[in-house]
Amino acid sequence: MMMKRVVLLLVALTVVLPATVRAQAKPDFSGTWRLAASNPPNYPGSAGWGVPSPTIIVKQSPAEITVQSGQYGSAGQMTVVYKLDGSDTIWEAPSVTQSGSTAVVRWRTKARWDGNKLILFTWNTALNQLRDILSLSGGALTIVRGTEQPGPSTNATLTYSKGS
Amino acid sequence: MRRLTLSLTAWLVVLFGFTWVTPSASLQQKSGDSISAKGGVGDITGQYEIPDPGWPQWAHPYPKPGYIWGSQGGVFAESPNRIYLANRGELKLPANVPNNFPGNWGFFNQMAATQPIANMVNCIVVVDGNGKLIEAWNQWDKLFEWGRGPHQVYISPYDPERHVWVVDDMRHVIYRFTHDGKTLVQTIGVLDEFGENDDLTRFRRPTMIDWLPDGTFFVADGYGNTRVVKFDKTGKPLLKWGTRGTGPGQFNTPHGIAVGGSPARVFVSDRGNRRIQVFDVNGKFLDEWPGIAPHSMLMSADEHVWAVDSITDRIVKFDLSGHVEYSFGQFGTRPGYTWAMHQISADADGNLYLSEVFGGRTQKYRPRPGADPSKLVWGRSLMPMAGTTSN
Repeated sequence: MMMKRVVLLLVALTVVLPATVRAQAKPDFSGTWRLAASNPPNYPGSAGWGVPSPTIIVKQSPAEITVQSGQYGSAGQMTVVYKLDGSDTIWEAPSVTQSGSTAVVRWRTKARWDGNKLILFTWNTALNQLRDILSLSGGALTIVRGTEQPGPSTNATLTYSKGS
Repeated sequence: MRRLTLSLTAWLVVLFGFTWVTPSASLQQKSGDSISAKGGVGDITGQYEIPDPGWPQWAHPYPKPGYIWGSQGGVFAESPNRIYLANRGELKLPANVPNNFPGNWGFFNQMAATQPIANMVNCIVVVDGNGKLIEAWNQWDKLFEWGRGPHQVYISPYDPERHVWVVDDMRHVIYRFTHDGKTLVQTIGVLDEFGENDDLTRFRRPTMIDWLPDGTFFVADGYGNTRVVKFDKTGKPLLKWGTRGTGPGQFNTPHGIAVGGSPARVFVSDRGNRRIQVFDVNGKFLDEWPGIAPHSMLMSADEHVWAVDSITDRIVKFDLSGHVEYSFGQFGTRPGYTWAMHQISADADGNLYLSEVFGGRTQKYRPRPGADPSKLVWGRSLMPMAGTTSN
């Protein structure tokens, strides 16, 4: 009787576990992505912040995702790390301040999964905020972007296609 | 036609004040020079004395060597002897500071106090009527590190526990503290996450709050969203109204809110559209008052809406039908003048408090001897604290 129960349990685990793992598997956004479209067209970001980068390079591991892009304002091309366990990453780098000058400021990033969407948050002490919601569909990467600064808020939907 | 007349009247009063009934104020600089208000600009300090630039005492000398108090987001007078100041951090002083520097950032006549990167310390302090420091809530400075500091500060007139509410626009939340500041009781919104106009759990840079007697409250939201959100007394969202636009019930930067009247109405500063809109408590549009773009508004004890205009730097008194009854004030950085008034508060003794986001100071205006009471701002009485009879 006992033996039968153990066998049944093992069979159940064999069937259920892979299915659970499959259900929990998250999308992999890795790749080199080229900007295909933006809505609104020619979306300018906000005062140089959040400007769509023509190309972004994404690398993803179970622990973190890195985004190499020119979307982080005056810093130019930056490679930014977002940890996937929900913890903060903090560092210092230049950014344009509200007075228009460039200064070294503190930066912070954080990531959070929302189903199969990945939400990336970027802040710095020059009062720039970027929220990107990443999703994959039909081989395209969609980024729903919101920016906040003391100036006007902006929203855009950016579509990237795979390419080198 | 009525609206056109109201609009023209409002603009005339806001721009030119009541020079035909009130003599121009003669302001005294620190050096002793006399400055008269000329050119039809009108009454600068209204029925109030020229403020003492040494108030609050706590900021003189400055909070930290080499630094000065920064942008002042808010002020709330709980009583004549307990005034909350919301400071958006401290700013580094220029290398060369003249001997006659009075202590306010605006003195330099360069950039606004919001522009330099601030050191987020001494963000919420409490002073007495003489401006002497009573409490510094430094334990909460860390809340403001990744934003731009407290936007405004309030106590509900109807709360017997007198919780202190602090709006943080850049971090998209509203905090409710115990009266002594020792405990953060509640955070409304999601820290560092903004939501869109239809999201009832997240704000997008909220700006201001006001209450109904039953504790229901309304939030102007804000810089990013274009709506008002109504909450029950526990902080549960009930409904929202507003979209982006210029029509009735639409907003562009709802930045101020005041609740009052009978039946109760919600007065919303639609700053970007340069008007005040009036709604019932469920968001039904009732009226609009064009010609003013307030940073902040206050429902006074005598049931008038006092609004601080972001364009003219004037303080304007409206009756609840939108008629302008009085106005005073002028842009400037000397004592009595203002540069971007961001919150208006008044106590039961008739003292008026104005915080300036660009000028980087909070001024206390005491009534002149013989001041006309109808031209003073009277703060609403607060419900006595539970277990006390004080106000």
